Amino acid sequence: MVNISLTVNEELFEVSVREDLRLIDLLRDELGLIGTKEGCGEGECGACTIIMDGETVNSCLVMAFQANGSNILTIEGMEKEGNIHPIQQAYIDVGAVQCGFCIPGMVLSTKALLDKNPHPSKEEIREGISGNLCRCTGYNKMIHATEKAMEYMEEGK
Amino acid sequence: MELNVVGKNIIRVDAYSKVTGRALYPQDIYLEDMVYGKTLRSTKPHAKIKVDTTEAEKIEGVLKVFTYKDIPNENKHGVVLKDHEVFASEKVIRIGEPIAFIVGETQEACEEGYEKIIVDYEELDAVFDPVEAMKEDSPKVHGDSNIILYYKLRHGDIEEGKKKCKYIVENTYKSPMVEHAFLQPEAGLGYLEEDGTVVVAVATQYPHYDREEIAINLGLPEEKVKVINTNIGGAFGAREDISIQIHLALAAKVLKRPVKVIFSREESFLAHSKRHPMIMKYKTGADENGFLQYMEAEIVGDSGAHASWAINVLRKSGVHATGPYVIPNVKVDSYAVYTNNPFTGAMRGFGATQVSIAYEQQMDELAEKLGISPIEIRMKNIFRKGSMTATGQILTDSVPLDKCIEEVNRDFQFLEESEEGAI
Amino acid sequence: MTLKEVYNGRSVEEVVGLLGEYGNGAKLISGGTDIVIELKNKKITPKILIDISKIEELKEIREDENYITLGSGVTFTEIIENPLFSGNLHGLYKACRMVGSPQIRNKGTIGGNIANGSSAADGVPPLIALGATIKTLSIEGTREIPLEDYYIDKLKSNEIIIEVKFKKPNNNQILTFAKLGLRKALAISRLSIASLIGLNEEGIIESVTIASGALGKYPMREEEVEEYLINKKIDEKIIEEAITTLQNSMDERLKGRSTLPYKRVAVSSILRENLEELIKSRIEVEAW
Repeated sequence: MVNISLTVNEELFEVSVREDLRLIDLLRDELGLIGTKEGCGEGECGACTIIMDGETVNSCLVMAFQANGSNILTIEGMEKEGNIHPIQQAYIDVGAVQCGFCIPGMVLSTKALLDKNPHPSKEEIREGISGNLCRCTGYNKMIHATEKAMEYMEEGK
Repeated sequence: MELNVVGKNIIRVDAYSKVTGRALYPQDIYLEDMVYGKTLRSTKPHAKIKVDTTEAEKIEGVLKVFTYKDIPNENKHGVVLKDHEVFASEKVIRIGEPIAFIVGETQEACEEGYEKIIVDYEELDAVFDPVEAMKEDSPKVHGDSNIILYYKLRHGDIEEGKKKCKYIVENTYKSPMVEHAFLQPEAGLGYLEEDGTVVVAVATQYPHYDREEIAINLGLPEEKVKVINTNIGGAFGAREDISIQIHLALAAKVLKRPVKVIFSREESFLAHSKRHPMIMKYKTGADENGFLQYMEAEIVGDSGAHASWAINVLRKSGVHATGPYVIPNVKVDSYAVYTNNPFTGAMRGFGATQVSIAYEQQMDELAEKLGISPIEIRMKNIFRKGSMTATGQILTDSVPLDKCIEEVNRDFQFLEESEEGAI
Repeated sequence: MTLKEVYNGRSVEEVVGLLGEYGNGAKLISGGTDIVIELKNKKITPKILIDISKIEELKEIREDENYITLGSGVTFTEIIENPLFSGNLHGLYKACRMVGSPQIRNKGTIGGNIANGSSAADGVPPLIALGATIKTLSIEGTREIPLEDYYIDKLKSNEIIIEVKFKKPNNNQILTFAKLGLRKALAISRLSIASLIGLNEEGIIESVTIASGALGKYPMREEEVEEYLINKKIDEKIIEEAITTLQNSMDERLKGRSTLPYKRVAVSSILRENLEELIKSRIEVEAW
């Protein structure tokens, strides 16, 4: 076992983890953050996307011990004081959610994109969510949701 | 009339729980004292098997290895025909068929146990081509014949129809096997309630069928079995057949502890059905004015090692073989056939999807021969209100296909481009 | 579990010491985009795993008068976002941008792309075309190896790649890249080509290096095409001939491989894309 400390959703955790544990398993099995999903286990689907030190990563491709000292945001950290993030509201409002399994990762990719580039073009939105697969809706709804989220964020909603 | 839903933007009831990550899929449920399961699957397409679990059961942390010998009652299930074994007993008939289910305190213990199970395969001749499989001397997957369904449709007079045709196009089309690849790999949890009721929490398209099958296999009355449908991470038809339900119920009942299973993506591919690959031989003919007069089709669908919904799927292919076109003289023969391939079943469209590749291409080729546009040949022949289908049904309600084609044509400006020879 | 110990490497010196101590039993992990899958599938079973993803000295991009040096821990995203790789180094930008997905590019490093040794590594052909060398370090000292030789003269178990270095192209040289994947994102290259070509004022090719990915066991120089192109003026006929030359080398190299007929056809548009991009950038430069 190896001792690591990491910040997840603004909370500091000091945990002892198996050497061969992946970050996704640490988040789900040890920290109970089940909003992070595993769809493929090899970085193809993006369902396990989290934001680590400001950038999206596939948490199935990071070893838990590598997160030592890192600052992590998962879907659970998107809510502030009981309010969901405008991106989440936009996903709800445009009907971008069907089976929902891709959604936590998709929302975090959208957030990372808008953090870096608050006014992306359609093409840049497509590029921004290109690492997240959805099998239900196709991607137009996510693009609409991102555009709607831009509106909400400007309105300060 | 004021409608509550139609024409309005209604928010899904589960959207909030899904965008916040609160929605529970089976892999998200953790119970106290929970143990894990792992399925051992066939690596051969057709073989007699002998299974030895002795060494696996000695591994520290392995609680039990279940095989067909542990099934209290029937070792069979299936949505239409009971042709799946819960665990292969004498022989395996496809790669990926479940042979054993290892339950251990941890996933690592299951992995270790998995490595120690010895399966002795005596390989048998296998058949992978459905056309070969229809022959008398082909290897048989179940029983004496590989033909699961022969659906026959006759409408009008084929010979008369042929005589009226100026052009006949003849082609063979093949469509591939397709994986649904829903995003949430199969997962589930089996546990007992205090009164002994067996509970399985799973993402399924048929909780009521699952319950019935579990009850039969375990020899329990149905009221002693409960299936909880969790959030479902996509299905598209691939969650219509049983995957883990019976294994979980059996293990929970015997071990009296909650048992959890999560498939990897690879196992998910191996475990569930696929879309039927089809071989479609088509002859379609039109008279000099571009009206369809005749069609003959022979459709062979590869059902793989289990029937699943093959009977319904290939019947639907037969019924939809003409597409949305009025054809007075039609002959269709469709077959569903067993092979030793991965099994196929329900997938979006249920057999109607594959044939469209064939009948639409036939229309395009006929249009070319007739020197008319692809739009024109369709407008001449499509179903309209009052049309009769090849199955004899009169379409009495709304049939707005003409409007649909006109809209598509307007947006694509298909006719103008094709007149310029761009298409 | 075979993994006994893991280390969060803090400095190159520390990592070199650990590699010296454990050698074969140790593996380095940086972006993890390949190695975590191999660990999970037990394709590799190291005893020691050393994370090098947070070592600052491996993350530097340095430019001096004649050379550009990339630390091995530089990620694809960091390359894409660095203005150094626009202009006549656009081919490297393009190759890095076509790797995986944003998530993969955020973690995947140029050093990992090389060390992993895949013939389909997108970052490698542009670097080979640039004549890049890699610098490795071990307790025995440093080595500098031309990147194109790396695949023959492999890394020793106690070595770490610390940087990749290449000479900045001249103003008349342009680096181009094209890749064929099965889709736009998350696609492993079916084949890729990078070329660094210098044209003189008359539009005659006065320097050329072309490197391919996934057209052999490892990324490599396409010397026969280079020989054909040198001192020629690019036009449609020359492009066609260059394609035929490349196809002929492939016929020899990939003989009996089931992918040959496909790649033989596909390669024509990929090489063409390189050369046409070159012509296009030249026109843009002239117009400017």
